[in-house]
Amino acid sequence: MHKKLVIFTAALLICTVLLSAAFRKEDIKVHKLDNGLKILLYEDRNIPQVALYTFFRVGSRNERPGLTGVSHFIEHLMFSGTKKIGPGEFDRKMEFSGGANNAFTGDDMTGYTDWFPPATLEAMIEIEADRMQGLIFDPQVFESERNVIASERRMGVENDNDSILSENVRATAIMAHPYHWDVIGWMSDILSWRRDEVMAYYRTFYSPNNAVLVLVGDFEAAEALDLIKKYYDGIPAGPPPPAVLTVEPPQMGPKQVFIRKEAQTPSFYMVYHAPNCQSPDFYPLSILDMVLLNGESSRLYKRLVRDEQLALNVYGGIYETIDPMLFTIYAKPRPGVDLNRLEAVIEEELGKIKKEGITEKEFQKAQNMIRSGFYFGLQSNAGKAQQLGGAEVLYGSYEKLFSQMDNYASVKREQVQEAAKKYLSENYKTVGKLIPEGGVQ
Amino acid sequence: MKRLIAATILGFILLITPFLGECAFRLPAPEKIVLKNGLTLYYLKNADYPLISFQMFVRGAGFAFEPGAVEGIAGLTAELMQKGTAKMDADALAEAVDFMGASLEISASGENATVSAGSLSEHFPKLMEIAADCLINPSFKEDEFAKERSKRIDNIKAVKDNPDSAVRPYFFKAYFGAHPMGHLASGTESSLKKMTVADIKDFYKKYYRPERAIAGVVGNIDKAKLLEILEATLGKWNNPGPAAPLSTVPALPKPKGRKLILVDKPDASQAYWILGAPGYPIGDKITPQAAVMNTLFGGRFTSWLNTELRIKRGLTYGVDSNFQTWSVGGLFLANSYTKNDSIGEMLDIVLDLLRKARKDGFTAEEVESSRNYLQGQFPQRLETNAGKARTYAMLAFYNLGFDYYDKYLARVQAVSPSDIQDAAVKLLPETDFVLVVVGKAAEIRKQLEKYGTWTVKKITDPDF
Repeated sequence: MHKKLVIFTAALLICTVLLSAAFRKEDIKVHKLDNGLKILLYEDRNIPQVALYTFFRVGSRNERPGLTGVSHFIEHLMFSGTKKIGPGEFDRKMEFSGGANNAFTGDDMTGYTDWFPPATLEAMIEIEADRMQGLIFDPQVFESERNVIASERRMGVENDNDSILSENVRATAIMAHPYHWDVIGWMSDILSWRRDEVMAYYRTFYSPNNAVLVLVGDFEAAEALDLIKKYYDGIPAGPPPPAVLTVEPPQMGPKQVFIRKEAQTPSFYMVYHAPNCQSPDFYPLSILDMVLLNGESSRLYKRLVRDEQLALNVYGGIYETIDPMLFTIYAKPRPGVDLNRLEAVIEEELGKIKKEGITEKEFQKAQNMIRSGFYFGLQSNAGKAQQLGGAEVLYGSYEKLFSQMDNYASVKREQVQEAAKKYLSENYKTVGKLIPEGGVQ
Repeated sequence: MKRLIAATILGFILLITPFLGECAFRLPAPEKIVLKNGLTLYYLKNADYPLISFQMFVRGAGFAFEPGAVEGIAGLTAELMQKGTAKMDADALAEAVDFMGASLEISASGENATVSAGSLSEHFPKLMEIAADCLINPSFKEDEFAKERSKRIDNIKAVKDNPDSAVRPYFFKAYFGAHPMGHLASGTESSLKKMTVADIKDFYKKYYRPERAIAGVVGNIDKAKLLEILEATLGKWNNPGPAAPLSTVPALPKPKGRKLILVDKPDASQAYWILGAPGYPIGDKITPQAAVMNTLFGGRFTSWLNTELRIKRGLTYGVDSNFQTWSVGGLFLANSYTKNDSIGEMLDIVLDLLRKARKDGFTAEEVESSRNYLQGQFPQRLETNAGKARTYAMLAFYNLGFDYYDKYLARVQAVSPSDIQDAAVKLLPETDFVLVVVGKAAEIRKQLEKYGTWTVKKITDPDF
């Protein structure tokens, strides 16, 4: 879900040389309340609006069987009423004030994203602070929202063959670590979450010491900080949430998944175990991701879609995660294509990189893509807030955002080949094939 | 995610929502540049980031002007313009754009084609050189044509494998019939099979002309430098001779009674639907009332549709209504999905809400909330270079004036609950609409019978 974050953040140092105006580490105002809430403030008056982003260090990684998908369920319930304001009142207040909001849940974090006019800053901070610990979990809303999630899963997984396959491949590749399941959770868990267990989960993870507040936009930092103190200072710190201790054991041979179901087109998904985002190997693998999978000139797009016409599309790559996850290669095969042939062609392309590495031109192209993507992502308040908070949660500090370019710049081209050899090995591979049955081919 | 953001609000699907308020946030006035060949650009410098965005509309190069037999030719022509020129083949073009980390996309929509480009400032001259080459010297080679056509034919099967993506093309065919505004940019299996490379060349020759192109350029570049780049690139785009006038797009169809289409997808566990009725043309004076009304009806999280279907009953993850607008008219569209055994309950509620909005209208408090919401969210539309460039191109293309959003403010702020109810009566359908459902017929058909007679199609049949 946050795959592109690092990529967009990559070129910062080079870019600050080019342009001094925008977004420097020195301009971020940082504060930590006594209860542990970390606050990042960045004034930007490009538009008369404020982005208020709240990140909690909780995601599907913190779940367990029986409670899969619960992080995402709480994200939904965060709009369902507190001791102070009734169900739906959060959204009604915000929209009446000219604000809008959304939220997201990932494997590692949950984020609440508000965009509103500057004059409503205090009211927005007040209702955001209120729901950090004030949810009441109204039983009726609880049941209704459970059904919303079931519909979301039907939309996002069960009626989408590619997603059915990717869920299966992920659960096959990752055996022990909670990344085993998708953020949405298993349907049987969705249908049986218990209110007391969900509330206990909320109390465990929704504390100020487990959160980061990011404000970007049109406000005075000192004034905003006073308002944040006013509404958040009284929220007590919680005990540190339990650590995720499970370590995925090494894979010792290739795995395969086959799915047969009604369809007109096959699906294909191939993954390898990959390092987490704080590993030095993450950077060469990100460059490899660009070279293999990004743009019509990328190696796999060119070979599979253009030259051999085996696939309609290809994408994937490495994801920024706290624990080691997967390097993914997703191809949408054309109807009737031999999926073994598709797999063999991908293997051949990976083999070339393992044997010969990437060219200097490809290396430069990847660096340019990273740099350009970073700036295009940085134009909005939302983009800045997302990157600051993401760096804080995934890398341990927003400051890491501002040294990412050093990390990319210091990659040597040969390291891309070394990383390919180290990670894209047959023994660490899981391949999934969805084979159409019934539907017209 | 709490909810999906509809990716539909681009140049042609505009909820025109003014903002002035206390902050007086306005679209900055651009400088006008007219090249000798008639191409018009609107330019604004923004030195905040080392970036430049370019958005260009080419009038007439959209699917509304396609000859009937070759549906999808506008889309395929646009695609093929990036698949080889006199100087560079398709691979060289892709390599050159990717190498800069830039973006370049030519695509077709209803009344025009769009050229979207963006890069770091330092790469902009090269990017414009490539864009101009694609516009001026496309080679339309037979092998690239064959490749793209066959990819498009296969892709239709992939679209049909997901009911969420399938419902839209089925709806447009049901609503528009043979009317060109219902042509699919992606084409259909049968239309694509009929197409030849000669058709593509003809379409290009007829509709890609510099004097019909209007662009917005926003970013970190001085005017003198921009002019120099434009002269060397788009300035070389010559008129191929006098233009034949564009044909008039016929008036949009108006459904009489209920037209009901059920597309049977036997493996679907959820039923997906779109309901549509006539809307209004872009720039119409009803726009502010329509925007305030639709925000309340189905345009935001606390809307009636989302409150009744999702928040209160948990019937769906997503529901939305919006207006789609063109020069010749527009559409009201509502869409959602729910598990198979709830589709009847859901559609009953939707039809009840349409009746209620027409009959009772909205409260003064609701109207105030909607006005605040539209005003408060408006600045994001103009936050990025691409957002501004697209807005310049769109406002100029439809001849709406760059003070368009300013002028609307007073009108949005002035709308009363009775204006909003008038808009509901005028624009929300009661008896005349098109409704398309994609789902498992065996499980949903009985629930649908009460709405009238359904035409049933199989998802595996060719075309839509």
